[in-house]
Amino acid sequence: MKTLEEFIHLLEIHGADRNKWPDELRQDIESLLAEDESAFSIFNEYALLEHRLDEIVVPEFPNLEQRVLNQELPARAQSITDQLLNWLIPTENLTMRLWRPAMAACLPLVFGIVLGNFYSFGVNSEIDELDYWDDELALLAMSAIPESEAP
Amino acid sequence: MTDEELMRAVCDGDQSAYQTIVKQHLNSISHFAFGIIGNQNDTEDISQETFLKLWIKAEKWQPEKAKLSTWLHRITHNLCVDYLRKHGNTEAQEHVDVEKEVQADWQDGYGVSEDREKQGKLLRKVINNLPENQRSALVLCHYSGFSNKEAAVILDVSVKALESTIARAKRTLRKQLSGALRAPSEETSASSDVVNH
Repeated sequence: MKTLEEFIHLLEIHGADRNKWPDELRQDIESLLAEDESAFSIFNEYALLEHRLDEIVVPEFPNLEQRVLNQELPARAQSITDQLLNWLIPTENLTMRLWRPAMAACLPLVFGIVLGNFYSFGVNSEIDELDYWDDELALLAMSAIPESEAP
Repeated sequence: MTDEELMRAVCDGDQSAYQTIVKQHLNSISHFAFGIIGNQNDTEDISQETFLKLWIKAEKWQPEKAKLSTWLHRITHNLCVDYLRKHGNTEAQEHVDVEKEVQADWQDGYGVSEDREKQGKLLRKVINNLPENQRSALVLCHYSGFSNKEAAVILDVSVKALESTIARAKRTLRKQLSGALRAPSEETSASSDVVNH
C-alpha cells in the first residue's frame, strides 16, 4: 500500500469490510489507517456508504414462489443423442423396434455402394467400356449372319 | 442432494427437483433482478422466466465451469439486460441531476429520518441512476455476496473489468451521497455501528 489513491481503489474494489481485504494487504492497510488521518476519514466514508447501502429495503414477493412453482413447465426437449436413440430403438411397437435397427444396420452398406459408385479409390480400369461394347455388338451381329450370306 | 444431482434429476424431467432448486434460489434471484430493474412486477416476471429457462436448458449447465447459483444469476442478468434494452432503461436514462435531488431530499430530513423505507427509496434513486453494468456489479458484490471472481463470471467480463466497474459505481455513489456521508450526526451514529478504529 503505497499511496492514498491505492488505498481508495482497494476500498472501492473490496469494500470497507476488513474480512474482505486481501490477506497480503491487510497489515499495510491497518498501518495506514493507524498513521494517516485522511485515510481513516476516507475509510469511514466508505464504511458509512456501505452501511447506507445495507439500509435499502428489498420488497417482499409473497406470491412469487407459488407462481414459479405452479407455472406450466413445457415437455423437456430431447437431446440429439436421445432423439437418435429413440429413432433407432423406438418403444412404440415390436415391428418398429426391429425394422429401424435393421434399416440402421443397412446404412453402412448403402453408404459403401454410393461411395463405390462415385469414387474409384485410385483404381483405374483398363477396360475401355465403349470399345468393349462395340466389339460385343459386332460379334453378336456376325453370329446372327447366316453362313450362306457370309462373305 | 447436491446441485449436480438435482440438475440431473431436472434433466430427467423430475419436477420435485425443480421445486427444490426454486426454493433454494428464488430469494437471491428475485433480489438480484430487483436490484437491476427496480420494478416489482417485472422482477417477478424475470424471476419466473429464469426458472423456466432453468427447466428448459438444464442440460446446458456445466458444473465444472460455474456453480448453479452463478449460472442462474447469469441467466437472470441476461434477462434483465434484455428487459432494459426493450424498455429503454428509463430510470437510468432520465438524466436527472440526482446529486442535487439527493442533497435536497437529505436536507428535507430523509437522511436523518428513522424511516428506513424513505432512506431506502432515496438510495434506490441514486443506484437506479447508475449505468446497468455498475448497478449489476454493485448488487452482485454488495448484496448477493458474490466474490469479484464469481461476479465477473456472471457478468461475462474479466475480473479486472468487474473491479473497475465496481470502483466507478462506488465512486459515483460516494460523490452523489457525499452530503449524506458527511452529515455529522449521521456519521457518528452510523459509523459507530460499522467502524472500529
